[in-house]
Amino acid sequence: MSGAFRPGPDAGVTVDGDSGTVYVARLPGGPLLVLEGAAAVIWAEATAAPAAGWLSRVAAAVGHAEDVIAADVEDFVADLRARQLLVPVDGDDQVDGADAPQ
Amino acid sequence: MATQEATEGPAPAASVPLEVRIGFAHASLQWIADRCGADLIHVKGAALDPTLVPGRGFSDADVLARPQQVRMLLDELRRHDWELINTFAYGSSFEHSATLRHKDFGLLDLHRIYPGTGPTPEQAFDTLWSARTTTVIGGRDCAVPSRAAQAALLLLHAARGGTDPKAANDVEWVWTAAGPDDREQILEWVRRLDAELGFSVITGTLDEHRDDPAYDLWRVASRGGTRMDEWRARVRAARGARTKLAVAARSVLVNVEHLTIVRGRPVSRREVVAEFFERPVRGLREQVTRRAGTALGRAGARHREPVPPATDDR
Repeated sequence: MSGAFRPGPDAGVTVDGDSGTVYVARLPGGPLLVLEGAAAVIWAEATAAPAAGWLSRVAAAVGHAEDVIAADVEDFVADLRARQLLVPVDGDDQVDGADAPQ
Repeated sequence: MATQEATEGPAPAASVPLEVRIGFAHASLQWIADRCGADLIHVKGAALDPTLVPGRGFSDADVLARPQQVRMLLDELRRHDWELINTFAYGSSFEHSATLRHKDFGLLDLHRIYPGTGPTPEQAFDTLWSARTTTVIGGRDCAVPSRAAQAALLLLHAARGGTDPKAANDVEWVWTAAGPDDREQILEWVRRLDAELGFSVITGTLDEHRDDPAYDLWRVASRGGTRMDEWRARVRAARGARTKLAVAARSVLVNVEHLTIVRGRPVSRREVVAEFFERPVRGLREQVTRRAGTALGRAGARHREPVPPATDDR
């Protein structure tokens, strides 16, 4: 079982176990990005199994309804994908939890 | 509020812990090595088995490259925004590593030799490579030595650390507090790596190796000495007359790369010329100071060594 997304093939990732902060860099030259708070939650849930329902898990974690956050989350994931830091596990472009690949 | 953070997009690294940056330095080099088919062994720092010396800090990435592939890796690193700030010849007295810097990932020491290992750099690399294991650093799979080999390498590094408290702490954890089985495994790696000379510093038997051409290198590294002592040791350790001459010539040339780092900016021609004349004077002054100090020491007075033992562990 896999998550909806996984780090890109040229991404380096380090997660701080205490704070949950995600450090992600495009290798070999950077830049090095810091994902904190909601951004770290989105990364964690988007890459965690199961793929189905990952968006609702983000909604629950940040305390907002899924439909309220969906557009913002989609923009954020699109940014990470444009930087090739995050790629869909089976090439599916959907970021919505219900449609994400299993 | 949390969602607003997300909509602002990922933040460029403003404040990233140094150890995280260094982890990415390992990952960056591993990415490059994977693309060009080079073999690397990541040592110390982020690559160290955390059970060897709990909580040991680090400030750069140390990576040993297969010697035949070092030139290719250096070229590739420079193509990927790594800036060469110190070459092998002008690094430590063991001339073992080149230092590079990346604006996001910090400092990287690319080793062509691990000081104290042999019998040749190629054979030492093969020996470590044959028993490698893998750990994840910065999200990439990186080859590291076996745990006992890591212990032996850390002790060889500490042997060059003189009175550095970090080196003393490494020896305490890895050797002094080790049980008989762990010690035997370490000694086995010392034998496999032909590392008896360097390791004799740890066991206090260095002076049994006075006839070894590299004895003075280890003596100066572990006990301290002047720059003149260090250059004498480098010349003595160099193999062959031509190599000895080349080392001796380097001792009077100015290391422009190092000077650039010390000054924090590109150096002018005038500064290089001034440094050229200053260095022999400085070496002579240290030698005189040391002799005077030794004389005072004989007379019962306390004195300080003018130059601390060399260590590359920044």
